Amino acid sequence: MRTKLGACLLAAALPFAAGAAPETYTIDPHHTFPHFELDHLGYSWIRGRFDRTAGRFTLDPAARTGTVELVIQTASVTTGDSERGERPRARDEHLRTPDFFNVAEFPSMTFRGSAATWRDDAPAVIDGQLTLLGVTRPLALTVTQWKCGPDPRTQGKRYMCGGVFTGSFMRSDFGMKFGVGPVSDEVKLWIGMEAFRN
Amino acid sequence: MSRKLTACLFAAALPFGANAAPESYTIDPYHTVPYWETDHLGFATMRGRFEKPTGKFTIDTAAKTGTLEIVIETKTLSTGDPDRDGRPRTRDEHLRTPDFFNVAEFPTMTYKATSLRFKGDDPEVIEGDLTLLGVTKPVPLRILRWKCGPDPRTQGKRYQCGGNATGVFKRSDFGMKFGIGPIGDEVTLWMSFYGFRQ
Repeated sequence: MRTKLGACLLAAALPFAAGAAPETYTIDPHHTFPHFELDHLGYSWIRGRFDRTAGRFTLDPAARTGTVELVIQTASVTTGDSERGERPRARDEHLRTPDFFNVAEFPSMTFRGSAATWRDDAPAVIDGQLTLLGVTRPLALTVTQWKCGPDPRTQGKRYMCGGVFTGSFMRSDFGMKFGVGPVSDEVKLWIGMEAFRN
Repeated sequence: MSRKLTACLFAAALPFGANAAPESYTIDPYHTVPYWETDHLGFATMRGRFEKPTGKFTIDTAAKTGTLEIVIETKTLSTGDPDRDGRPRTRDEHLRTPDFFNVAEFPTMTYKATSLRFKGDDPEVIEGDLTLLGVTKPVPLRILRWKCGPDPRTQGKRYQCGGNATGVFKRSDFGMKFGIGPIGDEVTLWMSFYGFRQ
């Protein structure tokens, strides 16, 4: 009787225990896009995007812990100017040179961080490190949108999380100094992301 | 003497007269990049953009009037999802079908201003019409940044205006109803823009 009760309690407790353990997620590369904005000549904010991002995160809302790793392919940078026309090179080509992202030498930039503060069940601020051009510096990302739940595209069979992260850094801190002045040192980041639970 | 004085006054008045008259600008396709943003499944926000729009605007800061026409090739849409990766079609391919932009039947979308509202010397709101999928509806654009001056890239030989503008519309108003619910009806536009004075 005692054993049965024990087994029963253990079984009843299992789902909660399973839910409370850290869950691992894989970034959906088709719905995860880091965007950046820089001031251009003091006239306008100009925007660009990375088209290929991979990564994963762990999440344990009960324990209020979580970690994230994003790996962004620098060669996938696009700004809507990929064709030369009559010019020697397109802006996207220039951005891939050692003047900016130096994609031959540094094919990826990474962000690794962990949830530092929470708002209810959602991470609010992620403290981490950005590695760009081989230089690693602290970067905090603010979670401006966050939701986890069953993926409606799979009739709920797949569980997902999605959200938006924002932050900013000085590119000169990472050694990217070309054109600082006409093109701002400050870079604003905006990352729309989705991920599937493993 | 009197004739000389008149000629002199006329010459002195010319620069002012030239400034006060409407000036014509040609849109810079490399720095005029319209982005859109919409909700995805209630989980995250997804962005896309159009590339190399063409157009022109006139502005008369003295009379506080102006015109604007931008033509966007719908097939230039890009959301960072160009490769199928084993799927039957990419998102960008899907967006070009009649479900969304129907680029075969409607190769262009246009924005045409009907009036400008000024705040001081700068335009603040563009009242105008968006034509999308053959449907024309008013969509005001709010100017977030605006600046005119000599282009530092040409040692000031070229005069330019640039900035950022934003607006919101419902895609269902233009008959784009596919996936409303999972994919937001509300679309937020955001663009960088430049024009070179002719």
